[in-house]
Amino acid sequence: MAAGLRAVRRWGLVVAAAPPPPGLAFTRSAFVVKKMNNAQPNWLRVGLAFSTSAALWAFLIKQHNEDVMEYERRNKRGHKCTECS
Amino acid sequence: MAFLPDESRSLPPPPLLNKGSVWLGFVGWLSALLDNAYNHRPVFRSGVHRQVLFATLGCFVGYQLVKRAEYMHAKVDRELFEYVRHHPVDFQAKTG
Repeated sequence: MAAGLRAVRRWGLVVAAAPPPPGLAFTRSAFVVKKMNNAQPNWLRVGLAFSTSAALWAFLIKQHNEDVMEYERRNKRGHKCTECS
Repeated sequence: MAFLPDESRSLPPPPLLNKGSVWLGFVGWLSALLDNAYNHRPVFRSGVHRQVLFATLGCFVGYQLVKRAEYMHAKVDRELFEYVRHHPVDFQAKTG
């Protein structure tokens, strides 16, 4: 973990802003990493994250309400039905 | 076998915020905070979208896991009580 932190600091100093040379475009190497810029948010990713969270919560709450209704429906008849449980 | 068979819907569903979903939601939030810390960002104030997403994922996974755990426990209990019902001789009260 300390090596990773040292590497991050090193990458912050080495501004490799140019695109990687064509021969290295498909390799993953510490020499072709870009400096991270946290001051300008990637709004697409922010929007995707928030919309995914909202969709997940909506699905979860909907599924919970359906589960409650299904449980009440099955147990309303006093276990007389044979095809559900 | 399915993760949640159809007969698991006959069980009372756990509340939305139960011990599993709250704990895994907290773990997801904590992992977002750790990601901030490892990348030299302000721990609480940055990446709020990331914190919300990870916490939501944790709650979701926790809820499904708690439903599965309750189904497994109920299944084992049902098999246990069926066995006791079919073998009354072995389970007499202390007077016998």
